[in-house]
Amino acid sequence: MDIVYNGEWTWAASLGRLLIALAFAGGLASTIGYTRAVREGQGPWHAMGRWGFRIQAAGIFGASALVYLLIFSHRYEFEYVWKHLNDAMPFSYMLSSFWGGQEGGFLVWMCWILVLAIVFLRRNPGKLEAPVMAIHAGILTGLSSMLLGLWFGDFQFGLDPFLMLREAPQNAGLPWTLNPDYLSLIPQFADGQGLNPLLQNYWMVIHPPTLFLGFASTLMPFAMAVSGLWLVDHKTWMDRAISWAFFGVAILGAGILMGGAWAYEALSFGGFWAWDPVENSSLVPWLVLVAGAHLLLINKSKPGTAITATYLLVSLSFLLVVYSTFLTKSGILGDTSVHSFVDSGILPQLLGFLLGCCALFCTLLLAPGRDRILFGGLQAVMMVGIVVLDPALCVLGLIAVMLAAVLRAHLRHLPRTDKESPLWTREFWMFVGGMLMFASAVHITFQTSLPVLNHFLEPFSAGFERLHQATGSALARKLATHDLAPGTDFDATYHAIQVPLAFLFISITAFTQYLRYGRNPNRQVFFMPLRSLIAAAVLTVVFLLAYDFETWEAPRVALMLACLWSAASNADYIIQVLKGKWDHAGASIAHIGFAMVIFGAVLSNAKKDIVSQNRFGDLAMLNESLSNEEDLLLLEGDTVTMGAYYVMYRERRQEGIHAKFAVDYFNTLPAEYSAGDVVSNEGFVFQCAEDHTASPTFTDDLEDHWTFIPIPNDRQKREAAPWSAGRPGEHAFTLEPRIQLNERMGNAPEPDTKRYWNRDLYTHIKWGRVSDPEADEDGWMGGRKHDLMRRDSLVIGRSILALDSISAVTMAEKPAQGLLDKDLAVAAHFRLTGNGPDTTFTALYIVRDSLLIPDMVTLEDRGIKVRIDGFRPTEATFETVIWENLSIRRDFIVMQAIVFPQINLLWLGCLIMTTGALMAVRQRRKNQRRRTPAQPTA
Amino acid sequence: MSRLNIVVILMVAVLLGALFSVFTTNSESVVFSRAFAEPGIEFKVSGTLDTDHPVLYDPLMDVAETRFHMQDKEGEVQEVILRKAKPTGLEQSESIDLYGKVVDGEFVATEMLMKCPSKYNEDSHSLAESTPEAG
Repeated sequence: MDIVYNGEWTWAASLGRLLIALAFAGGLASTIGYTRAVREGQGPWHAMGRWGFRIQAAGIFGASALVYLLIFSHRYEFEYVWKHLNDAMPFSYMLSSFWGGQEGGFLVWMCWILVLAIVFLRRNPGKLEAPVMAIHAGILTGLSSMLLGLWFGDFQFGLDPFLMLREAPQNAGLPWTLNPDYLSLIPQFADGQGLNPLLQNYWMVIHPPTLFLGFASTLMPFAMAVSGLWLVDHKTWMDRAISWAFFGVAILGAGILMGGAWAYEALSFGGFWAWDPVENSSLVPWLVLVAGAHLLLINKSKPGTAITATYLLVSLSFLLVVYSTFLTKSGILGDTSVHSFVDSGILPQLLGFLLGCCALFCTLLLAPGRDRILFGGLQAVMMVGIVVLDPALCVLGLIAVMLAAVLRAHLRHLPRTDKESPLWTREFWMFVGGMLMFASAVHITFQTSLPVLNHFLEPFSAGFERLHQATGSALARKLATHDLAPGTDFDATYHAIQVPLAFLFISITAFTQYLRYGRNPNRQVFFMPLRSLIAAAVLTVVFLLAYDFETWEAPRVALMLACLWSAASNADYIIQVLKGKWDHAGASIAHIGFAMVIFGAVLSNAKKDIVSQNRFGDLAMLNESLSNEEDLLLLEGDTVTMGAYYVMYRERRQEGIHAKFAVDYFNTLPAEYSAGDVVSNEGFVFQCAEDHTASPTFTDDLEDHWTFIPIPNDRQKREAAPWSAGRPGEHAFTLEPRIQLNERMGNAPEPDTKRYWNRDLYTHIKWGRVSDPEADEDGWMGGRKHDLMRRDSLVIGRSILALDSISAVTMAEKPAQGLLDKDLAVAAHFRLTGNGPDTTFTALYIVRDSLLIPDMVTLEDRGIKVRIDGFRPTEATFETVIWENLSIRRDFIVMQAIVFPQINLLWLGCLIMTTGALMAVRQRRKNQRRRTPAQPTA
Repeated sequence: MSRLNIVVILMVAVLLGALFSVFTTNSESVVFSRAFAEPGIEFKVSGTLDTDHPVLYDPLMDVAETRFHMQDKEGEVQEVILRKAKPTGLEQSESIDLYGKVVDGEFVATEMLMKCPSKYNEDSHSLAESTPEAG
């Protein structure tokens, strides 16, 4: 008995699932057809492959279009739409709600793979068509299985993007799911939850599709490499893969840095890069792809060089993309990462997909025959073992078999050249550079994979524990707890290794272009990059002086020198060697861009200046070694100095889903003091002798303009403001750091940045109220306790409350105060100044028969109430409770401000690098077309 | 200069460096009892925010001091001091890693990592509580 639900798009759910199923089935057919066609050539199998692929493409494109249709029609009965959309979101964020969840992410990824595959098919693929398309269809089938949403008992197979809320497991069996009119009855279906507010940023409209295109573009080189192994033809694919690989380099690189830009603008972790697992896992495939693409270049000019390494690197890039999908989507990082990752229940499926891809590659590395069957069989056994025996041990075993297969293939099956290329050749240094980048990727992968490593350590925990007890080794104890995580100190964890590696491979990009392939009999090539080295050295010295580097920073200075050398040298190469022929300058331009990215990243990070830091502080603070005060407290209306500016927190206002905190910035002018002014400096009080303009430091002015007051009177003490060299000048600009209000996911701060050509001033709210604090109906907020001694003072709203003196209430005074003779009473004499006329008042501490008689003093018009709850005679301290009225309350925020020098070089470099790489791709396509005139396709 | 040698040497060097940095730069992960037994030594303590006690942060008194109670993995609850402004989302955090040491009988943390549900995760949204009786 089926229920007909009113107003629900039940058909869309059925259609969507049909489309996914179609994609899956078509993909299977295509994979089988193309696989057979590899051996049999054109014929029925080949046709089956093509038709299967068409069905698959129709299914995936159709499903994606349908998800968009559901989003634009606001169909909140679908879980995916309900989770990622609401009525308030503007059009651009409706676009990005598509990839707000994993299901959409998979769809975008698949759509891009399809687009690239179609481009490949239109470009006269020849005999590569069958194997390349078999791989594509197979991978797409695997990916579309992630969207099947089938349940086998408790085992989930794929996430269904067309799941309706009433079918979701958490709602199973609830009465409303059986009500045909539930859509109109339940108010929650009128609007969705909306996209995670952190993703509601314009970068999130463009960053994910770019990144997914980058991910998708790693598949083509992988598929071509596998085809090369399959067809046992190690040359044809390499030629064709070059432009695809560099296309991937350009797009993936841009995608990663767009992610950095998003983090910089929308997340408040204070920078663009945090060595976060999510960031690392997109950087690593890029590094490997760059290395692999350069090995392909070598093979173009020197065929047969480092075949094994070329196969490995080109393929690893795609395998690492799959691995990072596994890391970030399976929930395995859960315990050790800053972020929480969704455990979407498809970990086994993702792991199976990852291991399947790796196993396929490792098996194909071996030539057809006994070895391929042996190693393929061993891997299959290990995979069965993962399911039925110990998963951790069997995965370790599987990895061992794979490594053995690679080694075996290198030694026995793949062609090797015995002759080593001479030292001073382009191919040698390109190879070394590629290997260095690969080493850098290995290191980052290792750090990111520590949570995975913990799973492998677990079975050996008892053994390490025994080892620790036997030897007392601290290392064994660490391993026994199997709780490794990358350190929090980026310098030690990442930079210590990444900086030297980057220094080396960037230096290599500075001179390698001048070298030729083969032999370099001409000595001149060694001198050509020297000119730019000298220029770079001079520039480095300029930066050294400008940004005040210290000796321990030598490694990063060396890296900056390498970057400058690379940029200058590649620019010089375009002028000297290419004579300005832009068509061939793509590679040099990309190198310049890359050098700029790294230079900007290193300099802006190393010399970032937290200007909100409390630099003056009192001495008590400085002694406290643990104090790391990086944030500035700003009271509404107060103007305080911060870095090169005076800042004032003006107001808070709410705008849409943001609470905005307007902070005005004023230029700093030298302070003016006039005769008679009283100031304090380092605890001493001085009086101004004559009118003058302040110097940068007090000691410069002391002798000529100030008189020391050894024993200041009360008024002087009270009025003495700390000496300051500056005063606020004219208004320069206003920044509005925000807090995004989101009840469901918690409020999130968003920075606001003032951009200059040579630096950014980046500010974000560390703490701020998004609404007025709680108060009773008369506006009194909760009381705050203070221990006050004589001469203590407090800031209350815009006034200052000072405890002037303490006196015992004498017998004679008692009747006038309404006290009994036996009462014990102490009087606290307060003075309230500022924001109105000076007022004095007295609060009493009264004890009658050892009971405290509360004496509340209320200054209604000044918005303040005071009560004394206790008195400690030995310390002459009153325990005072003070209430403040909302009418006098001053809002305040805690803000952090960081100056990032030269950060624009990073963004500009990214643009230049992408442009250069795309230029190189275009040039390579042009050459290819010239060499192989297009044949009419059959 | 065999290529393979270069590769092998590089990889081994980097892996050793990575291993070295993992085991030297990480604070050892412990529970409160161990941290209090060895005051002055930097440790990492993981646990969850104890919501029975309030999170105390009064920027007017000290911008960089947050006090709260944390329950470690063995269930011991301790008051801890974080020498930073109160991190956003502390109350919503699912788990906390504190890096710090015991000073004068109090655990003082200089660095803290939080696992928050807000970033990549959505709450599992059952409509159960808010659902009207079917009728």
